[in-house]
Amino acid sequence: MTTLPDWISAGLLLAGAGFYLAGTLGLLRFPDVYARLHALTKADNLGLGLLVLGLALQAENLAAALKILLVWPLVLAASAAVSFAIARRAHELGIEPAGQEGKRP
Amino acid sequence: MGAVLLRGTAFALVWWVLAEGRADSWGVGVVSVAAALAASLYLAPPGAGRLSPTGLLGFAGFFLAQSFKGGVQVAVRAFRPAMDLAPALVDVPVALPDGLPRVLLVNTLNLLPGTVSVRLAGDRLRLHVLDARLPIAEEVRQAEARIACLWRTGP
Repeated sequence: MTTLPDWISAGLLLAGAGFYLAGTLGLLRFPDVYARLHALTKADNLGLGLLVLGLALQAENLAAALKILLVWPLVLAASAAVSFAIARRAHELGIEPAGQEGKRP
Repeated sequence: MGAVLLRGTAFALVWWVLAEGRADSWGVGVVSVAAALAASLYLAPPGAGRLSPTGLLGFAGFFLAQSFKGGVQVAVRAFRPAMDLAPALVDVPVALPDGLPRVLLVNTLNLLPGTVSVRLAGDRLRLHVLDARLPIAEEVRQAEARIACLWRTGP
């Protein structure tokens, strides 16, 4: 039998997948490395947050649910640090953001 | 002593979560918790400023709300046929003290709506913004204020 938590869980998982789709779409469509980082760090992070919430609802016990939720801050920390590393390197290499060529502050 | 007890409890809790509540893994667990505690005391000696519980809650709430906003903002633009971006590099002043607070700001801004940190030089942080028409300076100030509240001032 499908219970209410199952429905909420399914909703969260679907919404999470939607944000992953948006993140991937942004990665393909956005004009340059900086804008693509926005797509990855923002949309995918929210997508992952919704996914872990949805999965935690299906966990067998509290510890297992917390373990799944723990994934989110860990991935966020890695994602934020990696995004900064990529953006900084791109900037050092002199890559100008789209639409801003020659307007470096 | 208080810091040791508090951190030890926190690491033990993390172990309990990692082991999914199983009791038979505590042999490894005790060793791991001790190692984590030693590393934490070495890397972040206590006394350099204590975390404030209310500040932590305030930051968590702010972060969750902003993460949601940021994700929706990017998703809407990614799906829209005309993406409607106005990317730019923006320099903002940083008032937070050097060290952990600044590192936290740089990383937080990477996850918050519309901003990716590009370079931190002295007291100026260079950001890449997806839409320069949004009130970026205001959002940075908000994030700074939330981070400043994380630590109790004074010894």
